[in-house]
Amino acid sequence: MYLATVIGQVWATRKEPTLSGLRLLVVQPFKRNHPDEASTMVAVDTIGADVGERVLVVMGRSARHAIGKGHDIGFQCAIVGVVDGAEIDGKRIGQTAADDGAQ
Amino acid sequence: MFLGKVIGEVWATRKVRDLEGKRLLVVERLKMDPSEAEVTPVIAADPLGADVDEYVVVAFGKAARVAFGGDGDFAFEAAIVGIVDGGQVPSKDWFETYKREKEG
Repeated sequence: MYLATVIGQVWATRKEPTLSGLRLLVVQPFKRNHPDEASTMVAVDTIGADVGERVLVVMGRSARHAIGKGHDIGFQCAIVGVVDGAEIDGKRIGQTAADDGAQ
Repeated sequence: MFLGKVIGEVWATRKVRDLEGKRLLVVERLKMDPSEAEVTPVIAADPLGADVDEYVVVAFGKAARVAFGGDGDFAFEAAIVGIVDGGQVPSKDWFETYKREKEG
């Protein structure tokens, strides 16, 4: 499971049939010192996250379980939570970047 | 499974049911070579009560789910399965530093 920021959304009409009806968001995993260096991932949104929000992302079997269409699904990355806040290295991380440092 | 250091904690209200009641800690994998590229910290569920700055063993996948009682399906794949008291790593001084910090 990783902490990530939702940076966008993708749409696809021609796709693997098991993916129909799923909302696909582009997320960038959190890095402590080089926040812009992390490569992005596409994750299925199970919770209703918005662009800019910090989220929890799971991979693999856990992701397929969270997506909840049975395990035979052509995807392995899912958003399972929207972060209220975090404290990392003693620094406060907010729900969005604009909330960072707020108590 | 990897050895890491707890660097923080995450809170979330809107989340899947499987995460309810789980303490979520931010863990950074220990680098044996300081010049290694920065890794993305992992969010691990914590059934043991680890604290920030402690070294922990993190399991992934089924092993992590078993740590939470049974091999059922949960919507998370990383869990803290051990809090490190001591250890020995060849030619690295990190653990000595850790012990000194713990012992004051």
